[in-house]
Amino acid sequence: MSGVRCGDDVSDYLRQNPQLAQWVESFRGYCESNKQWSARREFILRNMEAFPTVKPGTSSSSLDKLLSLSMVWANHVFLGCSYPQAVMDKIKKMGEGIAVQDPPVHKTTKDGIMSRGKRSATDEGDADSCVKRAKAAPNELNAAWNMTQKSGPPPQAPAEHQPFFNRLYKAVAWKLVSAGGFGPNLDHFEILRSCVESCKQTLTCVFVPLKDIAGLPAGRTQKDGHVCEIRCQMVYMGTGYGRDESAAKAMASKEALKVFQGRKVTVKICRRRYKGRDVEDLVLLDELPRSQGFPPALSYPFQDEQLEHTSS
Amino acid sequence: MGVPAFFRWLSRKYPSIIVHCVEEKGRECNGVRVPVDTTKPNPNEVEFDNLYLDMNGIIHPCTHPEDKPAPKNEDEMMVAIFEYIDRLFNIVRPRRVLYMAIDGVAPRAKMNQQRSRRFRASKEGVELTEEKNRMREEVIQRGGYLPPEEIKERFDSNCITPGTEFMDNLARCLRYYVADRLSNDPGWKNVVVFLSDASVPGEGEHKIMDFIRRQRAQPNHDPNTHHCLCGADADLIMLGLATHEPNFTIIREEFKPNKPRPCALCGQMGHDIKECQGVAREKQGQHDEFADAMPVAEQEFIFIRLCVLREYLARELTMASLPFPFDFERSIDDWVFMCFFVGNDFLPHLPSLEIREGAIDRLVNIYKDVVHKTGGYLTQNGYVNLERVEMIMQAVGVAEDNIFKKRKEDDENFKRRNKEKRKRMKAEQQGPAYLTSGQFAPQALGRRDRPEPVQNARHQAYGMRMQSAEQHNKDAAQSLKSMMRNGGRSSAGVSDGPDSRGAKRKAEDSDSEPEPEDNVRLWEEGWKQRYYKTKFDVDVSDEGFRKKVVRSYVEGLCWVLRYYYQGCASWKWYFPFHYAPFASDFKDIKEMFSDFEKDTKPFKPLEQLMGVFPAASGNFLPPSWRNLMMSAESSIIDFYPDDFAIDLNGKKYAWQGESLFLNKRTDDITTRSARLELYFTSLRRNSLGSDVLFLGKSHPLFDFIHELYRTETREGTVVPAELCHGIQGTLTLDEDPILPDETVKSPIPMLRDISHNSSINVKFKDPQFTEGFVFKAVLLPGAKMPNKVLKPEDFERGNRGSWRPQLGFNPNRQQAHLDQSGFRRILNHLFCSSSHGLNRNQQFGGQYSNAPPPSSYNQGSYSRPAHSAGHQQFQRKTPPPAP
Repeated sequence: MSGVRCGDDVSDYLRQNPQLAQWVESFRGYCESNKQWSARREFILRNMEAFPTVKPGTSSSSLDKLLSLSMVWANHVFLGCSYPQAVMDKIKKMGEGIAVQDPPVHKTTKDGIMSRGKRSATDEGDADSCVKRAKAAPNELNAAWNMTQKSGPPPQAPAEHQPFFNRLYKAVAWKLVSAGGFGPNLDHFEILRSCVESCKQTLTCVFVPLKDIAGLPAGRTQKDGHVCEIRCQMVYMGTGYGRDESAAKAMASKEALKVFQGRKVTVKICRRRYKGRDVEDLVLLDELPRSQGFPPALSYPFQDEQLEHTSS
Repeated sequence: MGVPAFFRWLSRKYPSIIVHCVEEKGRECNGVRVPVDTTKPNPNEVEFDNLYLDMNGIIHPCTHPEDKPAPKNEDEMMVAIFEYIDRLFNIVRPRRVLYMAIDGVAPRAKMNQQRSRRFRASKEGVELTEEKNRMREEVIQRGGYLPPEEIKERFDSNCITPGTEFMDNLARCLRYYVADRLSNDPGWKNVVVFLSDASVPGEGEHKIMDFIRRQRAQPNHDPNTHHCLCGADADLIMLGLATHEPNFTIIREEFKPNKPRPCALCGQMGHDIKECQGVAREKQGQHDEFADAMPVAEQEFIFIRLCVLREYLARELTMASLPFPFDFERSIDDWVFMCFFVGNDFLPHLPSLEIREGAIDRLVNIYKDVVHKTGGYLTQNGYVNLERVEMIMQAVGVAEDNIFKKRKEDDENFKRRNKEKRKRMKAEQQGPAYLTSGQFAPQALGRRDRPEPVQNARHQAYGMRMQSAEQHNKDAAQSLKSMMRNGGRSSAGVSDGPDSRGAKRKAEDSDSEPEPEDNVRLWEEGWKQRYYKTKFDVDVSDEGFRKKVVRSYVEGLCWVLRYYYQGCASWKWYFPFHYAPFASDFKDIKEMFSDFEKDTKPFKPLEQLMGVFPAASGNFLPPSWRNLMMSAESSIIDFYPDDFAIDLNGKKYAWQGESLFLNKRTDDITTRSARLELYFTSLRRNSLGSDVLFLGKSHPLFDFIHELYRTETREGTVVPAELCHGIQGTLTLDEDPILPDETVKSPIPMLRDISHNSSINVKFKDPQFTEGFVFKAVLLPGAKMPNKVLKPEDFERGNRGSWRPQLGFNPNRQQAHLDQSGFRRILNHLFCSSSHGLNRNQQFGGQYSNAPPPSSYNQGSYSRPAHSAGHQQFQRKTPPPAP
């Protein structure tokens, strides 16, 4: 709606300045569709003041620069290209406020090809590829980039992870049957670990000492102890508290196993707190309605430069 | 046309066009290599006049080969190229002309493809390294072993682009090579060599075509010249047909799909990087004596006889009772034109026409149906009749809906079959020979599936015996098959108990195998809307946009055909979209195209470099320009994204996907880089060069050229046609010529200078014609058609005895023949090696079947001693008469 309004503003503006309109129109590409052109036109018009030497009707090197950046922006938004970081930062700033109605979503080869092979499940598993993933994330994000969404898992991520967790669900179910059912006297971590590993994956545990967590309710007296967060393939599974790290881990595993008590498990994108901000996270859920929100995240694998940029 | 499918389709449908090359190998005598005497008659029993080399098809495999270790440095690459040319020269033995053409700057239309290939290559390179590192870590963590990483400089094949220093060096080396062979090799003595290096604009094969076309159009041309063109691109077949020369043959490496490649991580054959397990290497041969031998035979060459293809096409295209006289030559032109719909380097193919789905047959049928209505041919001399093309397109458009539905069906069937096949393959999978099996198979620690206790000991023992026997057998054959088998898991054989199967199943029916989501769904109602929406991001109601796409495509068809028949019509034209329109969108196309912009100039080499290189290959450019590819202040930064999306929808392989960032641009790169012209003009590398002609002392034209240098004739001189087999052109003096009796310095340290040079070179220019001249696509008067090869359709059995198919070039060639003892020997050899192993006694119980098997490893030619010409010899010579 804001996009439409902006577009209207632009065309009103151009109606009042026919000469300018004609000049700008000369930059339209032969193969540019109306939608792409009107977005790029807005980009050019909005940023003209920033290039004071650009004067309608004359060509100059700063005009070339502006046109080039407008192409960078359009390629980025409509075609999913990414550029060196300095260039990306620049166009991001320049493109602020221009709303594009449903921009196309593009996948880079990494997502396209890698996810085809058998290894798709293993791909994201180890920490190593977490790093890779975080690197790859900006591209696909940026492709679908608009002003509301700043960072987070790619929209197709739940679907990608779901098959793995379906398998894990089966594995856990059988394991629990052979262990005599879910209960308090199990080695929860061991069960979870062996199931995950039988599905050829590993768990990621993050430990944070309690005292390092800011913003705890003031009434809390305990100052020592640890909190553990368990993820698998970057998907959040559970958080637990304990006197020492292994107790915290056991508790977190128990929480995680609770999710597997339902009829199925689902990977979803959910909002939760992380370092005092709301972020989108990948979360494993059962089908029961949740009464309370999630504990704040201790780690966030989908962090990218943008987020850091805004936070710093 | 970089479509391997086209060649595959052609050779399956028209098998007789292919003739295997007979190659005489150099021998070795007391450690001295004796070169082959190429002055002797050609062992293929045919004599070729002209050999044309599309050099890029040679440079690529020689600089970064896929099936052997890469050359260590540039000098070795050059030597590999020389050897490759020698080999071709030896097979073809041209008697008049050797024409070497390296790709120069290409027309803008081609640059799109070049650009996307180069960007893709650099992106894939980065991804491969990432993947490698990741897998390496994973394998090592799992306790596998990997050879230490070799640190070697990766050869960036992107430097094979006109304007780079590498290409400049290559041109210098080739000059030396030609001078050397002309002076020292008797086979080259009477051959005129043309070298068209990267500084001459135009793609290699099109420079060759231009040469042929222009020679044909001048009166002294010999209409019965036998041409032989070397190159693997399928479009060479089109180009060859387009010349309408009766004797035209193409030579290329034999097409072998799915050649096994070593794993990029551990260097072993049999699996790719994704399946690497880091297991120890298997011994090759009993004592690992074949460790270094690559289990691939040397590439062999095949001839493709276009005159036979013409015979086939004559059968297919001839139509009776036409409203106009049938002209076979023109129907060939139409056939070539229709092949462009299916794929070419300059246009994306129409979504409904896939060569694998018999698109060309479909088109030919439609063509024959419609031709009655059109009242004439689609094309003439490379000019298109759009009105008639529209009729064809509309006929295709009618079927489009069904084609898409059928495609989906086939695709589904294919997937199902594939899945079953994979299952079967998996059941057969075996680990390396030293792995024990059955109960003793290695098991991972801490797993649930413990080895099954032996239930039926006899059965188990039998199974293991069988398996080892079979393994042995395979060792003996060392067949390619076993190379391709995925080495790895060990659970094969009888031990495939219920337990392990359970574990396997789990991994298998992971309902994933995620394909890229196909948003277009061409098989469902409303495909047209979705196609335009997802591929072009426009609504189907945007009639104007759709028209624009169709108009560009129509222009493209005209441009491509003109390019093949008349030469480059416009250096600037290109197809500005990523996708083709539907056949049914071709409405009212008659008015859409009139002519191309006249007098466009080719690009400068460095302009092209800036246009096709990704920033990662910027090291081939001077630093100031490299900066233009990276800096946020650059005014052409938009051309150099460092990552981009690839559309995989409906494409089976990643390389077939489209690189989406391309040609998003109207004021194309050159208008921008016009401002950079200042820099560009400074370098010699950036200037346009000229073809060069070389010849040796004994050639009749030699004295004439020598005289030109002596008198220092500055203006161009026309070649006297009678001195050079009717070849015409204009000669101008070279600034830095190779002259007889002057030492030619070797540009490669390991090769010697030529002290007794007896060759000479001079600049050469093709015959020029007035503007607007149209090269006629017809048979020349005086052209004699070669003998028919195919079995006549009205051949009757009783008539002249039984039909004998022709295998080579010579219809009367002497058939090889074996006497009794020969047969005995062969039988012996064959059956022993095949039945050696388990079923020896069942199959052939003859008295010779107990003879020892031949040594297991001398099957592929890679381990042959140099003196054997193998079966080739055996074909040509009749063995001595029986005792």
